[in-house]
Amino acid sequence: MPHLTANPKTPRLAGMAATALCASLAALPLPAQELGGDLTYWGGLIFSEEANALLVSEIEAWGEANGVDVTVEMINQNETVQRVSAAVEANTMPDALDVGLELLLNLSAQGVFLTVDDLFAEVGAAHGGWFDSVAAATDTTAVAGGRTGIPYGVTGNMILRRTDLLPEPPRTWAEAVDMAASVTKPPVSGLGLALSNVGDGNLQVSVLQSYGGRLAGDDGKTVAIDSDATRAYLAWVKDAWDRGVFPPGNATWDGAGDNQAYLSGQAAMIANTGSVGIAARNDDPDLFAVTGYSALPAGPEGIISPIQPNLRAISATSDNPDAARALVAHLANPEFMAAYFATAIYGPVLQAQESMPAFDGSSLIHAGLMDLVRNGTPPGFPDVFNQGYAEALTTFVIPRMVQRVVIDNWTFDDAIAEAATQLQAIYAKY
Amino acid sequence: MTDPTASADRPRRRPGLTGERRLSAFALLLVAPAVLLVVGLVAYPFLFSIWISFTDRVIGGGGAFIGFDNFRYLSGQAILGSAARNTIVIVVVTGILKLAIGLGLALVVNQHIPGRGFLRAFLMLPWAMPAFVAFLTWRVLYQPIGGGFNLILTQTGLYPQVIDWLGQRPTAMPSVIAASVWRGFPFWFVSILAALQTIPRDLYEAAKVDGATRWQQFWTVTVPGIRHVVIVTALLSSIWTANAFEHVWLLTQGGPSDATMVFPVLAYLGMQTQRIGEAAAVSVVMLPVLAILVILATALLQRDDDR
Repeated sequence: MPHLTANPKTPRLAGMAATALCASLAALPLPAQELGGDLTYWGGLIFSEEANALLVSEIEAWGEANGVDVTVEMINQNETVQRVSAAVEANTMPDALDVGLELLLNLSAQGVFLTVDDLFAEVGAAHGGWFDSVAAATDTTAVAGGRTGIPYGVTGNMILRRTDLLPEPPRTWAEAVDMAASVTKPPVSGLGLALSNVGDGNLQVSVLQSYGGRLAGDDGKTVAIDSDATRAYLAWVKDAWDRGVFPPGNATWDGAGDNQAYLSGQAAMIANTGSVGIAARNDDPDLFAVTGYSALPAGPEGIISPIQPNLRAISATSDNPDAARALVAHLANPEFMAAYFATAIYGPVLQAQESMPAFDGSSLIHAGLMDLVRNGTPPGFPDVFNQGYAEALTTFVIPRMVQRVVIDNWTFDDAIAEAATQLQAIYAKY
Repeated sequence: MTDPTASADRPRRRPGLTGERRLSAFALLLVAPAVLLVVGLVAYPFLFSIWISFTDRVIGGGGAFIGFDNFRYLSGQAILGSAARNTIVIVVVTGILKLAIGLGLALVVNQHIPGRGFLRAFLMLPWAMPAFVAFLTWRVLYQPIGGGFNLILTQTGLYPQVIDWLGQRPTAMPSVIAASVWRGFPFWFVSILAALQTIPRDLYEAAKVDGATRWQQFWTVTVPGIRHVVIVTALLSSIWTANAFEHVWLLTQGGPSDATMVFPVLAYLGMQTQRIGEAAAVSVVMLPVLAILVILATALLQRDDDR
């Protein structure tokens, strides 16, 4: 009968077995436990009503199973900054909430959120690990001394085009303008990009960067907007403007401008997160059928296609942080996330999510988001995504520089000089 | 030796307050809630926002006193000048247009014309409509393609080209002003109409007997009769317009470029960065302009009272 003998490898094997056991246990759904107390969650309202309802019901079911009296409030993501800012000042923050990276970064610097490095590691270990791009993009250690958010989905821009007009996707931004010009004939305009003071207008930052332009140097502080690359980018946008490929009104579009232009047939090509595709699928199957999806085109320096992670954060003033942590961990469970991804326009954040049905290639939008997670650039890249960079985005420095050129007919040098002054003042604050 | 009865002869002071003082104390007690309310809801937030503008306060942070740094930062921004200029333009031009339209319509509706009651109610509709609905509707009307104004112009052949009303500098500000006037004129209309109805008919009869023309009647009877109300309306309307956010935000977000940037939108953008010290400074920069308006209106009203 074989019996155990002393073996120098035994402790190592035992350690490995213990690690494997821990990992297996971590991968299992957490057993129901009575956490108790109250918990308020602010969810981010997205384009899919089905996904919104799913999130609410999942949180409520979790609350019931764990004896936690949950209140879920869905917040319009256009109002998140105002709502959260007011809540921080009034000390009425929810226990946990969905938040974008820019707001998370700014508020983490003020200690508004709990650090959750252990939870991040725990959730990652339970679901095959985080995608490297997601993990790198969401690390707030430099400003908060630790991670303050648990990623749950990735968005980003891709090109949506009418394949009946533009069979092939544009490979470069210059090609995009040429292709757009070839199909521009009122009421159809070729290239539906926003140049206005809204979030969509900040796509221009990515185009600028693909031309080699930078807001600041590698130190994340020294303003570097005054460059030949910026002039080359401005020449591109001025050329596109003069050739009339942009839909009229794009310098004052609101956040829905490109959506409406594409859905109403006024734009043959737009850059969008994919929400337009979902709207077309529901409301205009013909348009959906002829919509093609592709990565953002390249500039002379390559493709800049930043991923935009969305995260869940736990308020530092939460009265029930244990329940909040348990809920955030629970919301990463595969059953819920598989159903959520099927209806929401998010790319995966965890390796195990790649095998979910939403990302099996049958949905072109989700395939594009999967590609973004694999090949997208970190937020801000090649700039440093810090508070100065975030403020430059929030105050629309680059779209305003473009407007100086195309609306006010300023020279490139004057427009760049004004932008440089603005950026200098912004970066000097941090 | 002291007389033990002496103290009894002195006039005795009643313990506590005299009647007059008691009355004063009671009066103070009565006004205290109102004073507390004014201090709590008006003075405190007002002074607090001024204080914040001198700090580097951010959302979630304490904020230290930094003197005039926020104002220095703002003065270095070209957009501040645009915001000041645009705010003044919007306040002045919309004020004049609302006065002209409100007065004209009030004079018409004050006559004995058929359907007068319906007209009065109908003209109040823009004021009754929620601002965001009104301005989003205007935004749709201004759409370059499919917008109501362009459809009218192109379909009737009045102007063959599509006009980007909100997207180009020459038309953006007039478009914002037109929408603001549409939304705001009913307040002027109803205020002036109310004032017109307080002018005794006898005055017009007397003027007619004296041989006054319609213009002279308007100038010597109507204008003095509504002057007080017009000043107060102008003051209120100017303050509301200067502080209004939604008309510009919903139509242009302050663009294109800085063509329609105004103080409230600039302050809003400051809030988006969570730097409430800077955002408060934008609001505080507006105060002298508004203070001048208030002082001017008060002086005019005082002059009327003194006559």
